[in-house]
Parts: sequence; structure tokens; C-alpha cells
Amino acid sequence: MGEGSFPEAGRMSAFFELSGVTKNFGGVQAVSKMTFSIARGELAGLMGPNGAGKTTIFNLVTGVYDLDEGQIFFKEEDLARLKTYQVTGRGIARTFQNLRLFQRSTVLENVMTAAQHHVPYSFAEGMTHLGRWRSGEKKIREKSMALLERVGLADRAEQAAGTLPYGFQRRLEIARALALDPELLLLDEPAAGMNAEEVSSLNVLIREIHRDFSLTILVIEHHMDLVMEICPHIICMNFGAKIAEGTPDEIQNHPEVLKAYLGEEEVE
Amino acid sequence: MATLIQQVINGLSLGSVYALIAVGYSLVYSILLFSNFAHGGFLVIGGYICYGTLRTFGTGIWLSGAIALAGAGVAAVLTERLAYRPIRERTNVTLYLLIASMGMSIVIENIFVIVAGGRFRALPPVIPTAPVNLMGLATTSAFDLLSLVSAVVFLGALQLFLSKTRWGLAIRAAAYDLRTAGLMGVNVNLLISIVFFVAGALAAVGGIFLSVRYTLYPQLGAITIKAFVAAVIGGLGSLPGAVVGSLILGLAEMLTAGFISSQMRDLVVFSMLVITLLVKPTGLFGKSVSEKV
Amino acid sequence: MSGYTEGIIILLCINAIAAMGVSLLTGFTGIFSLGHAAYMALGAYTTAILTVQHGVHWFPAIMCGGIMAVAVAFFIGVPTLKLMGDYYAIASIGLGEAIRLILENWQSVTRGARGYPGIDPYTTLPVAAAFFVVLAICMFNLINSRFGRACKACRDDYIASSLLGFHTARIRVISLMISAFYCGVAGALLGGFLSFIQPVMFDMLKSTELTAVVVFGGLGSMSGSLLGTAVITLVTELFRPISQYRMLIYGAVLVVIMVLRPEGIMGNREFLSWVKAPFRRRAG
Repeated sequence: MGEGSFPEAGRMSAFFELSGVTKNFGGVQAVSKMTFSIARGELAGLMGPNGAGKTTIFNLVTGVYDLDEGQIFFKEEDLARLKTYQVTGRGIARTFQNLRLFQRSTVLENVMTAAQHHVPYSFAEGMTHLGRWRSGEKKIREKSMALLERVGLADRAEQAAGTLPYGFQRRLEIARALALDPELLLLDEPAAGMNAEEVSSLNVLIREIHRDFSLTILVIEHHMDLVMEICPHIICMNFGAKIAEGTPDEIQNHPEVLKAYLGEEEVE
Repeated sequence: MATLIQQVINGLSLGSVYALIAVGYSLVYSILLFSNFAHGGFLVIGGYICYGTLRTFGTGIWLSGAIALAGAGVAAVLTERLAYRPIRERTNVTLYLLIASMGMSIVIENIFVIVAGGRFRALPPVIPTAPVNLMGLATTSAFDLLSLVSAVVFLGALQLFLSKTRWGLAIRAAAYDLRTAGLMGVNVNLLISIVFFVAGALAAVGGIFLSVRYTLYPQLGAITIKAFVAAVIGGLGSLPGAVVGSLILGLAEMLTAGFISSQMRDLVVFSMLVITLLVKPTGLFGKSVSEKV
Repeated sequence: MSGYTEGIIILLCINAIAAMGVSLLTGFTGIFSLGHAAYMALGAYTTAILTVQHGVHWFPAIMCGGIMAVAVAFFIGVPTLKLMGDYYAIASIGLGEAIRLILENWQSVTRGARGYPGIDPYTTLPVAAAFFVVLAICMFNLINSRFGRACKACRDDYIASSLLGFHTARIRVISLMISAFYCGVAGALLGGFLSFIQPVMFDMLKSTELTAVVVFGGLGSMSGSLLGTAVITLVTELFRPISQYRMLIYGAVLVVIMVLRPEGIMGNREFLSWVKAPFRRRAG
């Protein structure tokens, strides 16, 4: 398995690391001895044809599934011991392949629901609207609106999330994830269903937030164009295992990668 | 000792009737992933149709029973068509289906309250209830043995249907993944109608036996809660689990009634539910249904 | 104001308090409950026993009634609400039955099925109105706060909400406990209004009425639940002659609304948004 320009970082310095991660579903091995590490501040891509196990990896990292084998480290902490709702507190946020917005709530409320995580006020204050309620709500609202401006949805703040055009829903999910002030952002197929123009502006957005929010981002995509264009570090997988890792140039010409994608029609 | 054997047989008999109801309920749950609270209504419909045909037309139990099964099956299909399908097609929020099913349950029960009156009706004695002596060990009633045997026959028939017929295979596939089954060419709406028909028919058999045991009245469907508990104990969505859970429940109830007190029966049932949820929430045979994330 | 009108208003306040509790649980947190009258019964009987047999003043007695309901809700909720699915709904039916059995059979304490008479009529109009206003303010505040958003998140997508840091199981249990408190207080006030309580007052009919009210008003609208309470309480009073059809009508309401207009009357809007809306449109 090619590692190209990215030798495995030693455990001490790795920001985010998978080591020998394996997950089985019944008789199917969805992820097989997956190992890679990502340094702080990287913008990395996880590529592979449909069904390669990419989303399963995100689910394992965020505690939706339990690991069968292997370990996942984030900032040197073993994530396997955490429950799903504790993952956010450690600084990890994600978006979902199938979009999981709160459809009935407004665009603004979706983001506020995430933003409130870092603006605590007590239950009693919430019930009486005294104390820190007013200042807390103001802060949550302002932070959320700022994020909506960032992704270009500020004018749709009061619209029901479910009524947004598809491309905007994806942006909303990104805004919502950003509201958690994450250090590691996991984007699951953010360009799915978008046309070429939308993918371009998404690329711009991802590059911008990577820079402006000092994030480490791991993007899953099975479309080559998005990942190749913006990710200097790419991990490619197929049938649950890593088949290549390196820069876009190295990946593009890698025989295993070509074999995996040959015969797969690019849906554009 | 004799009492123990008697209560055990009682318990198995009651449990087997619960099984008929619980299996139908679990079958619907396995396909649509929601608890059809109107299931008790099908039971009551079966009981009243049987009573009605026996009384009005004087037909034998076999014909009346068959008509009751068909009638309850049709009622179940209609319930699905009128109340559940419109909701299912519009949204995937199971809460709406739950509420609608509760509404249907109340509607069915109260239609009978208004039309048939709240009187307790005894079925004409077409099902033998004479005491039977079991090899000198204990005495039980022919009724208990009969309901046990009938339950075995009907559940066996269901098992054959599920394992040996094309529709049975389709149902098993749909229980695993409804959408994929649809994509594979199964007519999902027709499949759901068939499932409801079967569930309704099974509930009707249970209803007939229960109306002999407890007399027939509109609120008889309330006993379905015990079948729900049995299904949870056995594992929601698992048919063998529903059977095993029902037998366990029936035994627990009868042993409590026989050796502790009759009033405690329902409390024991409720406690078993809470204990199951605390110790092994997926039940004995249940598979935890995971959403695709 | 005539005694009759006063009585209607008191009844409206009581029903509204219970409806707000159910609204939080079902409309805002997405948990279907079929036995909420059980919490009313717990509140009513606890308060009755404390005031009549132990001479406790009605205010602390009502608080105790609410707390008793909360305690039971906690014990039922913790095992059942950490699981997604209909487990709480099934358990709530069982709870209703269990409570009814206890009330009818523990005669020495509850006076059994015949009922518990002689409760001091402490629920006057000012008392009922005061409880309603305070509890309503608290509830509307809550849903317009972090907690309200947390409940809605758990309702709409429990996986996404977990990954936004919400401890879904805990939020659901808290929501249940609050709703139980509201129903417990409502039950306690009912006892003080009728001076008499009976297990049959807290049966499936009452539970169904509570759910029908919330569904009718709109799942996710607290104002809708109040509107629904007003409509159903008044209609029940006006149509006393056909009261035996009440259950049938409630059941039909549930089905019809779910099929035709699941968002109920108000959807998930509140009264206040109607007032704000014209201003918003002008600005945007």
C-alpha cells in the first residue's frame, strides 16, 4: 500500500489517527485494518468508490458504531471509550451523507441548536428568562447569523430547513457543524447531488473555512474532482481497506486507484 | 402438585392465545417498524363477527370462525388503507402512525360500545369446555387443550406460509429491509395488505378464544397490551420471540394468579416489561434495528 | 361572574396545565404517551391524602403531588426512554393500568373505586388562574430556550442531536419529568375543584383527551395545545348530552388529523409569531 509523501506519524505527534480499525457487519467486513493519520491543520480527503467503507469510518469515529478491532486517537485520546454525545465535546463535528437537518425548524434554529453547545446557561435561567438567558440567547443568535452569512444563507434564516434547495441544505449542515467550534471537521460527501458550478463554490467555501477557522478537515467524497482539487493529502480506500495514500498526483496515477474506479461511471 | 400442573397448562393455554396476537403484532412491526395499537381492535372484530354469525345464522364454529377470520383480516387491511397508508406515503415520522393507530383502536372499540352495547356476551357453547383428566396427574379443561392446539396449528401454518411460499419469502425480505424489497420488484403496498390481513386473522382466532375465556365485550381488545408486553419480552419484530414471550407471560400470569393473588397478575406483567427493558431491552430474540447513518 | 362560568374557567386552567405537560412531551420531544392521566391521578391522590388525612396546607400538598408524579415518571422513564421506539408508549399503558389497580385496591389509603370524598375546595378561581399563569410562563420560556431546542432536536433526529452534543436519553427523561409535574399539579387542582376524586376520572378517556387536545392544536405548538384545550373543554361542556360519544370523537379526531393535517391547527407556530410576522416581512 503506497504511502507516498506521508509516512505514518508517530503516535505522540498525530492529531487524528486510526490504527488497525476493523468493523464487521454480520459476515461483511466493512472496514479492514484501516490505518492512517492526519496532522493538525491538514485538509485531507478520504476517497473510494461507493460502498468502500468511508462513511463507516466516520460512524466509527463519532461513536455511532462500535469498533471490532483497532483504535482511534484524537489529540492522543482513545475515542472508542466515548459515547456519541461526548464526541462533540472533544472537538469533533460532522456532516452526514444523507443530510440530517432538523427539517421542521428554521435555518437559523438549526444552527442555534448547535451554537448553544458553547453558551451554557442554567435550566432555571431558561425557565425564568432571567440571569444569563438574554445575553446567552443574543450570543447564540449572533454567532449563528454570522455563520449563516459565511455560507451565504443569512437571508433565508427564517425559512424552514426542509424547504431549502438541496445545495443550500448541504451548506446549512456545514454551518451547523461549524457552530460547534470544532477542531476536526468531518464532511461526509458534501458535494453529493451538486452540479459542477455548485461543486466549485463548495470547494471555495471549504478552503475558506479551513483557513479562517483554523480547522483540520477530513472530506469524504467519491467524486474525484472535489478531493483532487482541494486536498493535498488523500487516502484512498476500497472494500474497506486502504489502497493508496498520498498527494493528488500520486493518487491520480496509482494503479490500485485506477483499478478501483475503472468501470465506475462518474455521475455528473 | 396437581395445582401446579393445572396452572402450567392454564398458563400455556393463555400464553398460546397471547402468542396468536403477539405474532400478528410483531409481524406488522417487523415490516413497518411501528407498533400498531389498533391490533386489539381486530381481535374484538373477530370476536363479534364470530358471535354474530353463531347467534344470527346458527352456523357451526368452523364456518363462523372462518368468517370471523376473514372479516377481521379485511378490517385490518381497511385500517391500513384508510389510516396508515396516507400517512406512510407522506412522511416517515412513526409518531404519526402511532397516534393514528391509537385513534383507530379507540374508534373501533367505541363503535362496538355504541352499536353492540357494553354488555358482556357469552359465546354459544360451541367450543367444548368440559374438564379433561390428564392421565390422573391433573385436571384441565378441554378448552385449554383446544386453544393450545389451535394456536400451534395456526402458528405452524404461518410458519409454512413464511418459509415455503413466494409471498412468505417477500415478507421475510421486507422485514429485513422494506425499501430494498420494494426496489427488487416486490409490490410493497400489496405485501403490507397481506401482512395486515394475516395479522388481523390471527388476532381474530385469539379474540374468539378470549371471548370464550372472558366473555365478549368491547374493551376485550385492551388485553392486547399483554401481547405487546410479550412481544417486547420476546424481542420486537421477532416472531419466535413473540411466541416464547407470550408463553412466558401466560405462565407468569397463571402462576401468580394461582399461588399469589389474582389482582397481582397485571402488576406482574407490568414488572416483567420494566425488568426486560432494564436488563435486555432488545428482548430475548430481538435484533436491534439500526438506522442507516 | 356566575358560579358556572367560574367553574368553566377553573376547568380550563386545569386542563390547560395538563395539556402543556403533554405538549412538551409529545409535541416537542416526540414521545407518545398513552397513560398521562396516571400522573394526574398520582398528583390528585397524593394531595388529597395529605390535605385530608394529614392536615397539610394545600400549597405544599399540591407541590408534593407534582413531585410524586415526577418520581414515578423518573422510574418509568429511565429504562424506557433511553431506547428509541415505542417502548415508553407501551409502558405508559401499563403504568396507567398499574396505577388504576393500586388506586382501586389499596382501599385503606385511597378509599378504593368508590372514590375519595371530602377534599377541601382549595381550587378557587384565583388559585387556578395563578397556577396557570405561572406554569404557562415557565413553559413558554422553557421552549424558547436551550432546553426547548434540545427537545426538538431529540425529536427530529436523535442521531444528529447526539452528534451535536445532546444526551438524548437524559433530555427525554427530563422532558417526561416536567410533563409529569404539570399533570400532577393539574390532578391536584382537579381534586381541589371537585372536592372528590375517583380512579375512573383518570382513565384512558382522560389520557386520550389530553393527547387529542395536543394533536388537534398542533404537535410542536404550545399555543396550539392551549387552543385545543379551550376548544375541547368548551365543546365537551356544550355537548354534554352526547357525552357517551366523546371517546369515539376523540379517537376519530386523532385519526382524521393524522391523515389529513398532521400539523394540527397551528402547525409548529405560536401565537406570538402571528404578531411578529407582519413586522418581519416588512424588514426582509
